[in-house]
Amino acid sequence: MKPAKAKLVIDGMKEAGINFSVGVPDAQFIEVYRMVSRDRDIHYVGAANEGEAAGIAMGAWFGGKRPALIIATSGLLVATYHLARINLLHEVPIVVLVPFRGDLGDPRWMGMYQKTTEPALRAMDIPYRVVNQSADIVRTIKECSESARAWLRTVAVLFTGEALW
Amino acid sequence: MVSRYELLRKLSAIIPDEVIVVACIANTSGFWGQLSQREADLLHITMGMCTPTALGVALALPSRKVIALDGDGNLLLNLGSLGTVANQNPPNLTIVVFDNGNYLGSHKKEPGMPTATGGKTNLEGVAKASGIVSACTVSSVDDFQRNVEAALSNAGPHFIVAKIAALDDDRPPRTRRVLDPRENKYRFVNHIQKTEGVEILGSGLGKWS
Repeated sequence: MKPAKAKLVIDGMKEAGINFSVGVPDAQFIEVYRMVSRDRDIHYVGAANEGEAAGIAMGAWFGGKRPALIIATSGLLVATYHLARINLLHEVPIVVLVPFRGDLGDPRWMGMYQKTTEPALRAMDIPYRVVNQSADIVRTIKECSESARAWLRTVAVLFTGEALW
Repeated sequence: MVSRYELLRKLSAIIPDEVIVVACIANTSGFWGQLSQREADLLHITMGMCTPTALGVALALPSRKVIALDGDGNLLLNLGSLGTVANQNPPNLTIVVFDNGNYLGSHKKEPGMPTATGGKTNLEGVAKASGIVSACTVSSVDDFQRNVEAALSNAGPHFIVAKIAALDDDRPPRTRRVLDPRENKYRFVNHIQKTEGVEILGSGLGKWS
């Protein structure tokens, strides 16, 4: 991942007013994790498990922060129980940022995530957008964050390889 | 053996109004909801999420003391969160774990299946090995009170394992309906907005409002 593309994700978070982030790092978004962990405007918490990360993000929202959850497609599956509770029972707005492994064109053995990612989001009633062009990264994060806050819903943004590399 | 209800009753008598309580699901939230009508209570936090949620609140509000009322089964689901707490090192966070050694849920007549602490696992040892220096185990009301009061008076994070009876046959009378998660959310958020001067809820009226 090129640093310039990672910076667009950070810029989008800042445009959205996101000031708290939690993640479980993965290779696809490594530059995003590195940048956000060094950023002075966005507190970053590195968690051990994506369900735990979702809980930390929810707590931060209750404390007045605007949180983002930065997780992999595999991590989205790990976090499903917690995100379902957060979105369907507590109705807390968290912006979930996911590098979309398994999108058509992915050269690695990640096809299973093509089968699981969007169906999992739909099952949890989490609205989402797929970003295919890097020019749309900043605007999409901002728009999804605004809707999450207004609707009191968790909202996801999926970034395809085309947008990130 | 001391009961969950005895310890919660003691906590309700000594806790300052401004301290935030984050309570896990089932009997802990159910009993606390009978004992307390504090606006700073966040209830019904599910398996594996109580300590993480309390950590998020503590990091967001460093000037407020936060107590997590967690359970052994609940914490064990995301035990790695203790390492996250240690590394984030929030001085305002105290984690209390009501450790009954079994997955009781809201059963009333007999204990559930054993948790790891019902076997060989020692949560105080796990917390210390995870990097939480202030960790202890208590098994009486007096020790519980002493350690909670010390935790609220000194920089943390603190971790208190409260060994409790396997069964919750000592329980409060149901005198009121406990708020559901959404009602509780609005009450808690309104309290934080009012006391901390932050805007959490949007109006939903958009940029033209």
